Amino acid sequence: MSAAGALIAVEHVSQVYAGRDGAPNWALRDVSLRIGRGEFVCLIGPSGCGKTTLLHLVAGFVKPTSGTVSFAGTPVAGPGPERVVVFQEYALFAWMTARQNVEFGLRTRGVPRAERRALALRALERVSLRHAADRYPHELSGGMRQRVAVARALVVEPEVLLMDEPFAAVDAMTRQSLQEDLLRLWRETGVSVVFVTHNVDEAAFLAQRVVVMGANPGSIRADLAIEAPHPRDRGSPRFAALYSDVADALAAHHGRKAA
Amino acid sequence: MSLASSDARIEPGTDTRPPAGSFEEAFRAEHRRRRRHAAMWRLVLNAAGIALFVIAWELIPRYSSWINEVLFPPPSQVFEAFVPLLLSGEIVKNIRVSLLRAASGFGVALVLGIGAGVMTARLSWLQYLFEPLLHGFRSIPAIALIPLCILWFGIGETSKTALIAWGAFFPLWITTFIGVRDVNPIYLRSAACLGAGRLTTLFLVVLPAALPFILAGIRQALSVSLVVLVAAEMSGASSGIAHMMSEGHQLFRVDIMFIGLAVLGAFGFLVDRTFVAVARRLFPWYQITS
Ligand SMILES: Nc1ncnc2c1ncn2[C@@H]1O[C@H](COP(=O)(O)OP(=O)(O)O)[C@@H](O)[C@H]1O
Ligand SMILES: [Mg+2]
Repeated sequence: MSAAGALIAVEHVSQVYAGRDGAPNWALRDVSLRIGRGEFVCLIGPSGCGKTTLLHLVAGFVKPTSGTVSFAGTPVAGPGPERVVVFQEYALFAWMTARQNVEFGLRTRGVPRAERRALALRALERVSLRHAADRYPHELSGGMRQRVAVARALVVEPEVLLMDEPFAAVDAMTRQSLQEDLLRLWRETGVSVVFVTHNVDEAAFLAQRVVVMGANPGSIRADLAIEAPHPRDRGSPRFAALYSDVADALAAHHGRKAA
Repeated sequence: MSLASSDARIEPGTDTRPPAGSFEEAFRAEHRRRRRHAAMWRLVLNAAGIALFVIAWELIPRYSSWINEVLFPPPSQVFEAFVPLLLSGEIVKNIRVSLLRAASGFGVALVLGIGAGVMTARLSWLQYLFEPLLHGFRSIPAIALIPLCILWFGIGETSKTALIAWGAFFPLWITTFIGVRDVNPIYLRSAACLGAGRLTTLFLVVLPAALPFILAGIRQALSVSLVVLVAAEMSGASSGIAHMMSEGHQLFRVDIMFIGLAVLGAFGFLVDRTFVAVARRLFPWYQITS
């Protein structure tokens, strides 16, 4: 994929934070990554390897210390509704109902009230939460809140969903149904997804491509294509093979590092 | 769903319990009855407490030799003094004047305090520029400014409004500043990704997120407003509840002073209750997030 053809192009990006006493801490060192339109990519790696930093660079929350991040051919200058982030938790506005949360991104672009409302209800319908439209976030379970967060992101029709361990805080059963719903929405909308996780099963179940990262300094260690079609059956031998591919790639780099 | 079906297996269709509908109806009725009962009981005790106080106040000055009835008039006398004041419209006029003063001073402080709080929390250069001044002035009690204010503005309404605004400004500024400064950055980032500009973010995200702090500031500012109101009216005014009390003092009319105290107590209580009710009404999510 050429830099021009890629939806997201991260070129030789380094991100350095000042640690204690101002010592440089390389959150990312010389990272290059291209992601195409419609791709479903998982970033996986141990905590502290710079996954969130990389996602925030693409979102435009931070500017790289060096290197460039571009989106659809133009350098990223700040956050924007073509690249919406779904956070791990507590990102829904606590003072708005589920419907008002979903309407937020439409309100910022001046969509008239009635239309906004209809679009928001339809978006909630797609995550099976129309019945909870008038509830406040504290009245929703963790899984429901993440569904609302996904609806809130999708309603502005972004080109990419940037998801930072969005299902890490929910129980295992809920997580599986959230994953299945996300795959369905991805197929229906054609949106690209960059999905951060530290969970091998999650990456093997979701991704078309798994980017394995390592820490100290944060960098990309492997880039695996996963050919298996969706939906994937967790009980199948094929899935077991996928799982061990991803797990091996993670272990290879960490094993070597630790040894 | 799976739970419901396993229930069905444990208790098969041959069920002799009354239908769930009527049980739930009875349960709900019983629950409502208990709640009503508890609320009534509380009201009865509230009223009994007030009645006990009034009775003791009435009887003790009458039947004890160690309390002077002129210095400590019983409620019946206070009430006798109250009726003509009420009928002549004097008390209503004084209440209106005092409330208007408190409201105008508080209103000015509300706008300036929240404005200053938001600006200093969002723009660090403004914060650094104004923090020494704001913290310095904050330490001066409003009451200490009364003589100066009378020199500058006379004993008219301007001087009362300015004093009350001064006193109420600082709690509003400080709480708004803290609330806005500590807004969860995830909220700001979510808003930015969803395309919100500065004003949308301010009104739909920053202020609501800071609201628990701002409401605490408003409540504090309301009580400060009443304190400064009384001090300002006592030190120079031609009307108002506290002015009525200082007149009572000069005329040696303790009953009038008692009326003033009762009115001020009622003010404070009603203002705070109204505040709580309005906050509940406007911000149904507030109890949980605070
Ligand atoms: N705002 C920040 N200031 C200082 N250091 C940071 C900041 N954000 C991240 N880091 C550091 O950068 C490294 C990578 O962090 P992060 O991207 O959050 O990793 P991950 O999401 O993979 O757990 C960590 O060492 C972290 O301490
Ligand atoms: Mg992270």
